[in-house]
Amino acid sequence: MKAAAFDYHRPATLAAALPLLAGGARPVSGAQSLGPMLNLRLARPAALVEVGRLPELRRVEERPEGVLYGAGITHAEFEDRAVPDPTGGILPAIAHGIAYRAVRNRGTLGGSLAHADPAADWPVTLTALGAIVHLTAPTRHREMPLRDFLRGAFDTALGEGEILAGVFVPRLSPQARWGYRKSCRKVGEFAEAMAAVLLDPPRGVARLVIGATEARHIVLEGLQTLDSVEAALAGAGLTEDPARARLFRTVVREALAAATGEGAHA
Amino acid sequence: MNRVTIEVNGRVLAAEVAPRQHLGDFLREELLLTATHLGCEHGVCGACTVLIDGAPARSCIAFPAMLDGAKITTLEGLSDDPVTAELRAAFTAEHGLQCGFCTPGMLIMARDIVLRRPGADEEAIRHELAGNLCRCTGYVGIVRAVRAVAAARAGLPAEVTRGLPVPAPAYVSPLALPEAGALAPAGRAAPAAAPPSAPPPSVDEKSLETLKNPVRLEQRFTVPAGVGAVWDFFQRPEAVVACLPGARLVAPSDGTRFEAEMTVKLGPMQAAFRGAGTIAADAASYTGTLRGQGVDSRSASRVQAELVYRLEPAGVATAVHVDIAYALQGPLAQMSRGAIARDLAGRLTVAFAQNLAAALAGAGAPAAPAPLDGGGLLLAMVKDWLGRLFRRRG
Repeated sequence: MKAAAFDYHRPATLAAALPLLAGGARPVSGAQSLGPMLNLRLARPAALVEVGRLPELRRVEERPEGVLYGAGITHAEFEDRAVPDPTGGILPAIAHGIAYRAVRNRGTLGGSLAHADPAADWPVTLTALGAIVHLTAPTRHREMPLRDFLRGAFDTALGEGEILAGVFVPRLSPQARWGYRKSCRKVGEFAEAMAAVLLDPPRGVARLVIGATEARHIVLEGLQTLDSVEAALAGAGLTEDPARARLFRTVVREALAAATGEGAHA
Repeated sequence: MNRVTIEVNGRVLAAEVAPRQHLGDFLREELLLTATHLGCEHGVCGACTVLIDGAPARSCIAFPAMLDGAKITTLEGLSDDPVTAELRAAFTAEHGLQCGFCTPGMLIMARDIVLRRPGADEEAIRHELAGNLCRCTGYVGIVRAVRAVAAARAGLPAEVTRGLPVPAPAYVSPLALPEAGALAPAGRAAPAAAPPSAPPPSVDEKSLETLKNPVRLEQRFTVPAGVGAVWDFFQRPEAVVACLPGARLVAPSDGTRFEAEMTVKLGPMQAAFRGAGTIAADAASYTGTLRGQGVDSRSASRVQAELVYRLEPAGVATAVHVDIAYALQGPLAQMSRGAIARDLAGRLTVAFAQNLAAALAGAGAPAAPAPLDGGGLLLAMVKDWLGRLFRRRG
C-alpha cells in the first residue's frame, strides 16, 4: 500500500503548469481519488503536477446568469457556503453528502469531474444542472457541456496536455425544483445507484440524470413516463440483475417525487 | 527527492522527501509520531486522520511533497488542546475505546465535529463519523462520548476550519524533533527497475469453470464475407487477437493454446495482463470457445475470461455472435467496486467487433453505436406539471 515512485512538480502559474502537462505528467489537486489508486499501485504516473492551488483555478466569478468556479474549489467550500451558490442550496447539500469531511477538506470540484467516476456526486449533479466545463491547453481554450465532457467510466473529452480549469453552473430560476437520491451501502461510500432531477420550467429545463451506471450517465431530457425511464435503464443493462434494477427504480422514483412534491428543494 | 518546509505540531521542519512517501509514513517513520495509526492506507478507514492547516484530512493519501508550507497537527500536538481534553475525558467516561487502534483518528475527527457543529445530535454525529471505522465495532460508546462534548458546547459559535491553522500547542512530543535545516535527507534509494514480469500462469481449466459472478457481455454484428472465410479467420489466433485493442500474442499459437498480453487503461489506472489460455473450435457448428486467465503482475490483479463465438450464414454475409464472460480479482476489482470495468469491457468488445469486421471486409469500420440518450420531450406531461405548479401558486 505504498505508491510507486513518481516525480512531483508544483508550478506557480497555470502557464508554467501547461507545458509540464503536455509532457505527459498527470494533474493532481486534492488527491482524494488519485491517492488511493497511487497507494494500490493501480495508477503509476511518472510525474504529477499540482494544479489545485494555482491562482487561476482558485477563482470564483459570479455572473448574472450563473457562477464560474475555479476547478480547485474544495467540496468543503461548497458545503460551508464559502462560495456563491446560484442553485438555491443544491450545491451545499450535495457537497455535504460527498464522502467524509476529511475528504471534502481536500477534494476538489475539478478533480472529481476530471476523474469522471460514474458513481461520484458532482458528475451526476452538475450534468443535471447543465454545467459547462472550461478546458485549457497551451494553445487553446474551449468550453463544452459537462454532459459531453463525460464520455464513460473514468473517460473524459480532455485532450493531451489539457486541463479542466473551471466549471460554470447556470443560475436556476426561483421556480426550479430539484430531486436527488443515491443508494449507498454506508454513509460516504460510493453510490450503487443515483438519480438527479431538475425541473426549471421558466428556463425550459426538465432533466433526469441517472448515475452509478458503471458507464456513461443516462441523461433524459424532457419529462419522462415511467416506461421511458424503464427503457433507458434496460438499454443500459441495469435491469438484468433484479436487486440492482430495484435500486435504480427506487432512486429514480424518489428523486422524481422529491422534485415534483410540495417541498422547495428536497 | 523534493525539499519541503513543513510545520509539525508547531515546529518548522525542513525535509527532503520522496514524492511517493505519504504523510502518515512521514510522521511515523521520520518523526516517530506514532499516535497516527495506519489502517487501510487507501483513504477508507480514517485511523490516520490528522489536521492539515487545521482541517481533518487522511494522512495516508496526503503526501508531504505536496504539503510545502503546510501546518500539520497530530494527536500528539493536541495534548494541551482544551477540546481534546474534554473528548479524552468523555471517551474514558463512556468507554469510547476498546483496542484503541481507531482512537487517534476518532479524536481528531470528533474534535472537528464538536467545533464545527456544536450541539450536534446523535444522527448528525453518526453521519459525520461515518468515515472513521472502529474494528471493535464500539460505536455506541464513541458516539455517546462525542455527543456528551457536543451537547456541552450547544449554543457556542461554530468554529469551521477548512485549512486555517490552529494555534501551536506548548507541548509537542516526548520525542526530540529535529529543527528546520537539521533533518537529514531521508536517503530513499532510487526506484529499482521494474522486476522482470512473472512467467505466465499455467492454464487451470477447473478454475475457469468456477468463474464466480462474472460480468457478461454480448455482441452481435454482421460482416460482409462468407461464413467459410470468417471461420478461417477465426482459426488464426494472431489475426483475432490483433482485433482486440491493446492485445498481442507473446508466442506463436499452435491453434489450441495461446499466450497473450493485454494492456488496458481505465482513467489513471493501467494494467498489463499476461496470461495463457486454450482454444476449442467445432467447424461443424461454426462455434468456438477461448478461455484464459491472466495476471497484472504490478497490481497483482487477476482476470479470468471466456469468449464464445458462433457464426451464422446471413445471405452472402455472416452474422457473428460473441459472448464474453469475465471476472476480475485483486486490487483492480477492489478499486472498481464490482463491475465498473464493464463499461471498458463493453467498449473493448465494440472495438473488437469493428476491427474484426474491418479486417474481414477490408473496408472501413462501422460507425460507433450512438450513446444511450434521452427520449423526447413529453409535452403533455410538462403542461400538466406546469398547470399544477401555477394552480398551487395562484
